[in-house]
Amino acid sequence: MKQLLLGTLILAGTVVHAQLSVPALYDEWRRVTFDGVVTRVEWVNPRAYLFVDVRDPGGAVVNWAIEIGNPLDLEQRGWSRRTVRTGDGVSVEAVPARDTPKRARLLALWTTRPRAQVFAGNAATARPTPAAAGPTPRWPDGQIRLGPPGGRKGYWGAASVSTMKESGSPVSVRADGLLTNVSDADRVAPLQPWAKAVYLHRQRTLLKDDPSARCLPPGGPRQFQTAHGFQFVEQRDQGRILVLFGGGNRNWRIIYTDGRPLGQAAEAVPSYFGSSVGRWEKDTLVVESVGYNERFWMTNGGLPHTEALRLVERFSRLDLNTLRYDVTVDDPRTYTRAWRSAWTVQWVPDRDIEEFFCEENAESTFIR
Amino acid sequence: MRTRALLAAAFLLLTISITAQEGHPLTGTWAGDWGPPGGSRTHITMVMNWDGKAVSGLINPGPDAIPLTGVSVDWGTWTVRIEAKGISAEGRLEDIGSYHRRIVGTWSQGGTKGDLRLTRE
Repeated sequence: MKQLLLGTLILAGTVVHAQLSVPALYDEWRRVTFDGVVTRVEWVNPRAYLFVDVRDPGGAVVNWAIEIGNPLDLEQRGWSRRTVRTGDGVSVEAVPARDTPKRARLLALWTTRPRAQVFAGNAATARPTPAAAGPTPRWPDGQIRLGPPGGRKGYWGAASVSTMKESGSPVSVRADGLLTNVSDADRVAPLQPWAKAVYLHRQRTLLKDDPSARCLPPGGPRQFQTAHGFQFVEQRDQGRILVLFGGGNRNWRIIYTDGRPLGQAAEAVPSYFGSSVGRWEKDTLVVESVGYNERFWMTNGGLPHTEALRLVERFSRLDLNTLRYDVTVDDPRTYTRAWRSAWTVQWVPDRDIEEFFCEENAESTFIR
Repeated sequence: MRTRALLAAAFLLLTISITAQEGHPLTGTWAGDWGPPGGSRTHITMVMNWDGKAVSGLINPGPDAIPLTGVSVDWGTWTVRIEAKGISAEGRLEDIGSYHRRIVGTWSQGGTKGDLRLTRE
């Protein structure tokens, strides 16, 4: 039983320390190449792996764990769990992990018999082909539909940007949230001194403490930048709109449109998605929210907030395929003034959101 | 039964470890102790809250609570300075990204100076 308990504690430690952001986990400036034989394919969310036996110069065989990306993205790129099979000979080019031996992230992969490249580039989110253009769909009373046109399917997919900064700021931020130059921190948002110190700490530690990397929900504006999209379910007769997320852990949120008051942040039970009420202003849904907890980063770059956070979100469907999301961040405990950010999101027609659970493998299965 | 309790505690530890408080680094309840080198140690519970302009709080909440009169942080060095009636403390914030971040430094009270160790609960 002592061994079981010890194993449990080791597992706990493993999960905590293994779930890091990609920049913190892998050293993007290094490369490894090797030939080997596939011993296992782990086709699970959020990160699929190939395990490859490699003979080292001394003749000993070591097993590498090669992260190949998210299965949903891989399938959109034509992969399946049988593209590479146990027993296949492969050549690998990969980015090694910073601290974990024999672990890497795939850059390119060739099968050796026959010689063919079956993977190239990173496994970033695949963007579906844009849908055919069309007018903004509306309900019979003329109000804009945020979901599919009548009788159709679809959901909102990739955002035009994967990180967040104040609108109009010329600062350069990488897709993973890291600043090109950390001295630009003041230009990302009007941070109070403590918030700037926390933000810089997160940047300098390569986002290693990102709660989303540990599968906690993507609260605040980040919910509209997840890799696997979202959809609106408009329950007009019940005066509410459900927002169902394909990213995170299939989280959902309610926006009440029945005219109830917003309430006060201090009265709300703090949560990842807050308490939201919405109203239509002509063709724009305006949503005000309070009651956020402090357990998430509202952007992948690590912008902080407090429980005083209040968001005003404006959703405008410009045409069939384009949703404009405009958010005002008001948190006087974190920022010196309210500030805005905006992006667009692309419609994915005639498809359903696919099943994605960030927690599925928790990255513990390959630890050897 | 004891084993189940231990296993439950282990899982609880995991849960606590992965749900951090990501707002102001000082906000929350801190617990620890202070004492002179080689001397007895005195338990401390400290509650701090950031209101957007200042950190306020209490030492040992309850009937004998001592209000904090001043809390400041040098954000360049993560050095925290805490003042209360008859008490002066200074320490460095460590393990900032963790829920269980720490303040490690010195504590002066009633003419006695000792080392300070606080961990966010």
